[in-house]
Amino acid sequence: MAADGALMSRAEILTDQILEKIRDENVKVKREDILKRMKLLVEEFKVPESEAVRTITSYLVREYGVSREELMERASPLVKISDISKPNQWVSLRAKVVQLWDSNSPNVSQVGLIGDETGIIKFVVWSKADMPEVEEGKSYLFQNVVTDSFQGRMQVNVNRTSRITEIEDDIQLPPREVDVVGAIISFQQNSGLIKRCDECGRVLVKGVCQAHGKVEGYDDLRVKAVLDDGESVYEIILNESNLSALTGIDLERALEIAKENLDRNAVLAELKNKLLGRYFRVKGLRGGRYLLVQEIDHHKPSAVEFEEILEALA
Amino acid sequence: MMRKREVAKRIFAQELVRSTYQIEDQNQIKYVLTPTGERVNRIFSVAVLLDKDEIGADTNFWRLRLADPTGTFFATVGRFQPEALEVIGEINVPELVALVGKTRVFEGTSRKLLSIRPEVISPVDIAVRDYWVLETARRTIERIESMEKREGEDVELAWRIYNPDLDEYREMVRKAVATVKEDVEVMERFEEEEEEIDFTGFEFEEEEIDLTDLLEE
Repeated sequence: MAADGALMSRAEILTDQILEKIRDENVKVKREDILKRMKLLVEEFKVPESEAVRTITSYLVREYGVSREELMERASPLVKISDISKPNQWVSLRAKVVQLWDSNSPNVSQVGLIGDETGIIKFVVWSKADMPEVEEGKSYLFQNVVTDSFQGRMQVNVNRTSRITEIEDDIQLPPREVDVVGAIISFQQNSGLIKRCDECGRVLVKGVCQAHGKVEGYDDLRVKAVLDDGESVYEIILNESNLSALTGIDLERALEIAKENLDRNAVLAELKNKLLGRYFRVKGLRGGRYLLVQEIDHHKPSAVEFEEILEALA
Repeated sequence: MMRKREVAKRIFAQELVRSTYQIEDQNQIKYVLTPTGERVNRIFSVAVLLDKDEIGADTNFWRLRLADPTGTFFATVGRFQPEALEVIGEINVPELVALVGKTRVFEGTSRKLLSIRPEVISPVDIAVRDYWVLETARRTIERIESMEKREGEDVELAWRIYNPDLDEYREMVRKAVATVKEDVEVMERFEEEEEEIDFTGFEFEEEEIDLTDLLEE
């Protein structure tokens, strides 16, 4: 066996790197066996080294039951979200789930935002990844996720070789507080009296959850709206308690309205009547697509404000 | 790149109806340029709906005339604006409404005409109008200031196209704010008094109204 590194071939170096990774596992793999395959791929067939490593890794997983996570883990360094600038990098992150969105593709099991002290980034969990679901507000270690660029923005994708483990620490998010007065000028789809999946809470579309198929579902009240202050637009989500405080319509009342009119859309019409074109003061956190509403209330001007303008003009 | 939603600009009617110069950007989005140099694709306004006229019988195509404290402007609603159309069908004029809509310029026989295609029309109360006037006054003053400083391409273009008298726009803002300020003061006094009056103990009697005269007509 060659003891001097300088005399080792690339095939030998790569072989030893793989063996190093599985050293702790109780697997009886012969070095000659791996080296033979590595030489065949790299030296004879001229396969790129990364492909050769991947092929042999898959072989070990298949034939010897080595855990794939074990082999991949050491390849992806722990980084901060603000460090992510290039696509196709394998990284690990310690981050908190800031917000989950409704996924509108059956290929996506979860989509939303995760954040750490340095920033917030979109994350996508592919259905094929077969991951346990994450929850809003909890912090996780995301291992072996891949950076990607979508519509000009960076995101991270969680795939089959990734691993998500809940952690005890409460990851702090960067403060991006917003305090704005604007008018609600539009409602987005899936607003009003909606049904959510009993299993995962996703909004049902025509009684179908895209993860769990046709389910009974439970009723909920929410509005996705566009708030506009003449300079920027903010997408906000109002939950039942926000709506109840602003319009007097809570879930119970909404169900009554639907029953009286024999139409669940009557609730939406009623909410539009009470909210569209009105001014609100919203305090919240801006993270990615939606502004997370912490406080919302009707806004009225005071006579003093008019006085100030008149003085400025005089 | 996903197309960003256009911000709804706040423009007083007097300035809005004069905004007939059109710009198209590299994404084929159409804007009108206002005399104070604002690029507008969408507006948010709070105005009194004065008239609604159906153009031809049963066409469900309506011409609307609206007014804010500075002047009047027009809007047209048809079947491509289903939400606004539904509201217009039921509304009685005059009524104070909040209006979100896209700007359109039509070539008239003698001059260009600006009109709004409403996306949202919603009856609102006076307090909404009050804040809209305040907000629109602030934005307009900011634009007048940028015009004075000659900041930016659109500002230069506005000078070239319209050569506006900025004092006229300052006066427009002053008048609008002064009119509404009185209302706000009255409302504030009223709210203070309301808190002092104790309504408990009052009994309200429902009056019976004789409708027979009306029915016979």
